[in-house]
Amino acid sequence: MVYAILLLVITVPLLTHSAVAVPISPTTLALYQFIENLPANSLVVESFDYATSVVPELHPQAIVVTQQLFLRPVKILFVALDNNGPTLADAVLDTVNKGNKTYGVDYANLGYIPNTATLIGMPANIAQFLPLDTRGNPTASLPIIKEFPAIKVASLVITFDDDSSAAYSYLQYWEGRYKIPVAIGATATIAPGMMPLFNSGQLVGVLFSVRAAAEYETLLSQHYHCCLGMSGASSAMVALSASH
Amino acid sequence: MSSEKKKMTREDLALQIIIFGLGFFYAIVYYIAVPGVVDLQSISDQLLAYITAVLTAAFGIGVINLTRVHWLNIKRKRATWKYSIILLFFLYTMLIVSVIASPFALDPGAAVIPASVIQFSTPIWQFLYYKIMVNINSSIFSLLAFFIASAAYRAFRARSLESTILLVAGLLVILGQAPIADLIWPGFSIIRDWIMAFPNTAGQRGILIGAALGIIVFSVRRLIRYPW
Repeated sequence: MVYAILLLVITVPLLTHSAVAVPISPTTLALYQFIENLPANSLVVESFDYATSVVPELHPQAIVVTQQLFLRPVKILFVALDNNGPTLADAVLDTVNKGNKTYGVDYANLGYIPNTATLIGMPANIAQFLPLDTRGNPTASLPIIKEFPAIKVASLVITFDDDSSAAYSYLQYWEGRYKIPVAIGATATIAPGMMPLFNSGQLVGVLFSVRAAAEYETLLSQHYHCCLGMSGASSAMVALSASH
Repeated sequence: MSSEKKKMTREDLALQIIIFGLGFFYAIVYYIAVPGVVDLQSISDQLLAYITAVLTAAFGIGVINLTRVHWLNIKRKRATWKYSIILLFFLYTMLIVSVIASPFALDPGAAVIPASVIQFSTPIWQFLYYKIMVNINSSIFSLLAFFIASAAYRAFRARSLESTILLVAGLLVILGQAPIADLIWPGFSIIRDWIMAFPNTAGQRGILIGAALGIIVFSVRRLIRYPW
């Protein structure tokens, strides 16, 4: 019976296209404003650290944050601590409006960071540890890498993380040593565990599940169906609460 | 602590010296910048590159092991041997197609592999990845919503003071997370943000600090091989 009610309250709002207004959380607003205030020509690293199982939860976040970055005059490097990451990053790149940004000059997908050793080495030298990008180009030949040969000059790293291990890795190896600000796009299950790090200032933003994607969509005034998805999830939560 | 002290063999001792030496070497290089004749950072970077090579080889060993186990399943007609055929078929199909046409393609510039083969393989890879793998994994993970709903229904019962606090806090966070609840009363979001920022942070901080102390103790014990 519980399952049947859940199925009903999730599918009806989706089929009737009932989008709801989403109030903006302080954790989402913090990341949005941090990106808006980045100086021109800053280097931002986006790390795709989620498996295909959480695509419905984290992929919308990745799309809206990437869209904001492409609207700003910043340079973007895509990496991944999950082996699905490079493919999912390409899928995001196919979705967003890239404006007049050029691959290799303004952004590049450097692919999979296979282990902690590479993660520790990249702040000193990107090309030594990731010699090829996902398109087979020598990393050292890309104009963006010539401009930023080491990660230590990055102004922000955002990890879309499904188990918090990537966030802790970036905090330990990049934030701790090189003071690179870190933000996380988290699943609902790990996001509460990130709050102490947000309140202490170690994380500059925390995105809570698909709701944060809907909030971001509202902030950007662009539509990627996140608010629509949120209406189904929203009514499920209310139904669950009402059942008590 | 065990009262029995196992005697260290020569191999154990050599291994222990390597673990101890490298462990402390990385700790020193990580925390202390040593300007001088020897560039410790570049030695550290070079060693890290070797680790990358060793760990990458482990992926190959994984594929060999998986093939061995399932090939023997099929050969000896063990229970579920039919599933082993499916597993091996898709393992090698995905492997071959990915090597030709994915972001991990070995020859994306078509220098060796003919362009026609890459063109033929690309839609197959896209179908297997985006239409099969993403959707199957997402569906399985989404089943959690139903299990959580069912578990929450059973667990959130006001039987005692503690469980009542859990029930009330859980419901307030759930309602605060649902934007539709703000149409009923805007205070739900404010309460959720307060719970996440204060009680949740306090509890999580205790867990984090406890775990961090545990990791430090375990690491030091491992480095000095205590108890041996």
